[in-house]
Amino acid sequence: MTRYIVRRLLLTIPVLFGIVLTVFFLNRVLPGDTCHALLGERATAAQCEDFNHRQGFDRPIVVQFGDYLGQVSRGDLGASLRTSESVTSLLVERLPVTVELSAFALLFAVSVGVPLGILAANRRNSAIDVLTVAGANVGVSIPIFVLGLLLAFVFAILLKGTPLALPPSGRLSPGISIAPLAQTWGLADLGGPPRAILDFFSNMATFNALVTGNWSVLADALRHLVLPAIALGTIPLAIITRITRSSLLDVIGLDYIRTARAKGLSDQRVVRRHALPNAMLPVITIIGLQMGSLLGGAVLTETIFNLSGVGRAVSESIAARDYAVVQGFVLVIALGYLAINLIVDLSYAFLDPRIRLS
Amino acid sequence: MSQKPRRLAPFALLATAAIALSACSGAAATAKPTAAPTSAATAAPATAAPFTAQSYPAAAVDCKNPPAGYTGELSQIKAVDQYTVEFTLCQGDVAFLDKIAFATQGIVDSDWLTKHAADKSAVRLTNGTGPYMLKEWVSGDHLTLVANPNYSGANKPISPTVIIKWSDTAAKRLQELQAGTADFMDNVSPDDAKTVKGDASLQLIPRPAFTTLFLGFNVDAAPWNNEKVRQALAIGIDRDRLVNTFEGPGSTVADHFAPCSVAGGCEGAAWPAADVAKAKDLLKAAGFDFSKSYDLYFRPKVRQYVANPPGVAQDLQAQFATLGIKLVLHQEDNAAYITNSAAGKYPLFLLGWTGDYPDMTNWLDYHFGIGSAKRFGAHFTDLTDLLTKASTTVDPAARLVLYGQANALIAQHVPAIPLYHAGNALAARADTTGVLPSAIGMEPFWTITPGTRTQVVFQQNAETSGLFCGDESDGDSLRNCYNIYDPLYQFKAGGTEAIPDLATQCTANAGGTVWTCTLRKDVKFADGATFDASDVVATYAALWDVKNPNHVGNAGSFDYFPALFGGLLNAPVK
Repeated sequence: MTRYIVRRLLLTIPVLFGIVLTVFFLNRVLPGDTCHALLGERATAAQCEDFNHRQGFDRPIVVQFGDYLGQVSRGDLGASLRTSESVTSLLVERLPVTVELSAFALLFAVSVGVPLGILAANRRNSAIDVLTVAGANVGVSIPIFVLGLLLAFVFAILLKGTPLALPPSGRLSPGISIAPLAQTWGLADLGGPPRAILDFFSNMATFNALVTGNWSVLADALRHLVLPAIALGTIPLAIITRITRSSLLDVIGLDYIRTARAKGLSDQRVVRRHALPNAMLPVITIIGLQMGSLLGGAVLTETIFNLSGVGRAVSESIAARDYAVVQGFVLVIALGYLAINLIVDLSYAFLDPRIRLS
Repeated sequence: MSQKPRRLAPFALLATAAIALSACSGAAATAKPTAAPTSAATAAPATAAPFTAQSYPAAAVDCKNPPAGYTGELSQIKAVDQYTVEFTLCQGDVAFLDKIAFATQGIVDSDWLTKHAADKSAVRLTNGTGPYMLKEWVSGDHLTLVANPNYSGANKPISPTVIIKWSDTAAKRLQELQAGTADFMDNVSPDDAKTVKGDASLQLIPRPAFTTLFLGFNVDAAPWNNEKVRQALAIGIDRDRLVNTFEGPGSTVADHFAPCSVAGGCEGAAWPAADVAKAKDLLKAAGFDFSKSYDLYFRPKVRQYVANPPGVAQDLQAQFATLGIKLVLHQEDNAAYITNSAAGKYPLFLLGWTGDYPDMTNWLDYHFGIGSAKRFGAHFTDLTDLLTKASTTVDPAARLVLYGQANALIAQHVPAIPLYHAGNALAARADTTGVLPSAIGMEPFWTITPGTRTQVVFQQNAETSGLFCGDESDGDSLRNCYNIYDPLYQFKAGGTEAIPDLATQCTANAGGTVWTCTLRKDVKFADGATFDASDVVATYAALWDVKNPNHVGNAGSFDYFPALFGGLLNAPVK
């Protein structure tokens, strides 16, 4: 197992290098330039020349790339050209929002998708099954931006003034804020990685409100998460439902299930104890893959619901040719994606002892 | 697996961990709470030391023999005494008051600036003398402004709190308004204007136009080198149709090149009305060659002055066809369009302008003045002479007369046909009062009453880039600067007239080369520091002089200062 983990970690190095290389050069070949994106279209050639010199953009691209690599290896992801904020600070601010949104979207997708899939498989060819399959097809086909806008329109405008009304954007209602955990817990002087980790969790509004017992803020944060989590989680929900159903149907048809039934076990027990554990392997794989795609979907969801996560930040930074932010964020997202994949692969061994990792 | 990877295994772990930790450790060094507190209204005891007169630079810039590369009009700024500042210019500048009223020219406390400029913390913290101060800036989410407790001016805020949020799509901003989660929003899209008008819970607030879309000619290129042809086309285009088809509320047909919100913009006779039959006759009389095709250049980029460039280009093509002229459309790459048009590479082109400041020099001199680019071909000397004279005439009434004559010369020479002034609109909840639309996008927050609610929530187009106002250039930053930092003069709330703010008055000598400003007394910054002439000198020095230690800014380009005052001091010589 250790050898396997080490090998997988070793493989992340060329993958990450490839990502850094690709993103770095793709950024530079995009039409337009940082100078005009930041200084406006009326920026003169002299102003741009001066700007490019100050930012080091007039050096050979290979030199710029070498410098960037050196910078990254020292743990410095640079600073935003647009706002002067360090990329690492931006990450600590923005990543928790995306993690929180993705977690809730995944929670929604799994908690609804798996039971629905099981129900559809158990009631194969019934009305419930047909409705579930049809619903899953619709869910997987509807684009996030359409669903997001529809949800916002229905719950924020049509149902405005009713108990079902939900806010169309943001993390908390205007005027509601939550103090950083470091401040609440008297750890304002804390520094270094512990402080960064604390700030990271602190910036997850639901977590912060939960651990500090701030129930009104927790309720407000959860209300703000409902619509984006549904919008982001619907496609994974549809996929998980379909995979759960088909996987369970495959397993239910196997001999050992027939044997279990012949022994007189109830249907519920057969499914729960014998069929489901074996049917879950492909579901786990899909859940892992969906975690990665959630990050991609977060770009649209965060834009539609005005959430200040990495997706929106990357999208805005690409438009502004804010190279450092795009590169830093993509690098960290890639790292997260690799980590998720590794965890999913490792989880197979725990779920199915027959699997040998080598 | 070979042995080599195994030997590398620890490095792999370290490398991966290093990358993962890099984000954390770096963040640790710069970590700050998401709710960044600003300087509270505490601390900073008033300085009791006697005031020392100061000049910047110590030796005035020699205007006849300026430092290499210096093109600016400022020669020196002097703090004559604690409440008197003197600006010495290299040449008279009649637009001086408009320039010092611009939102980039807000005055910052000199000590605070020294403390916060170098490390760029001044980008996300504020310390002004304006009605509001920044309470928190949650990156990517919102800014909260609260009333400045030390504010002593005439613009006392009605609402103690303003929350600024943003979305780059107009539909989303409108949705916030409809949902009741915002009190007012910027830039209603033309498509949504009807929705707003039809909703009793909302109100549409047109913003006066501060833009011009024009059809430009290179007067050196045939057949546009024939003035009679250009004059014929000046009445051959149905400009009403264009503005009604493509633009929304606040937009008007251009009666002159500059909009009426600029003093002098509407002086003189209005642009002649459309008369297609007469235009055809004039074209024939001018010997126009109808057998050829002609090129019209445009770029697809949506700007404040044009909502649908391809649509306008296609409509012009159709209108030219009714005159018997075949136009071939050329959609150009955005990146090179401005440069190419400035170089006169396009014989016939669609372009526009959004004003920087409300003075005719920014409209007519920029396009047709002696120093303007050759995008319209050779200059018209009668027009350039007149504009030069107008730009050095201090008497406002006399200037208006000159700009009336200049407008008439533009109508005569027709280097461009002004098509329309595209406006836009704000929208607000029906019970929100006091939203004063500004042609230059500088809406005051202090006049707004958000119904019975205790805070104003505003939806703007994008996140504020920064609040080191001298180095900001986007409207979504400068509007906040306008509400946080007071300049010496300030644009009147909801208007374009420069009125005294931190200065009680600024007066010029006869030639407009020396401007003396008398400052208000007993003004304090948000942190309690006392305002005096040294703050004015320090602020202007930081913006003007590239070698000043406080000339750091956000992106560091300070592009508005040279646009206003002609150049930066000690800029690198190319």
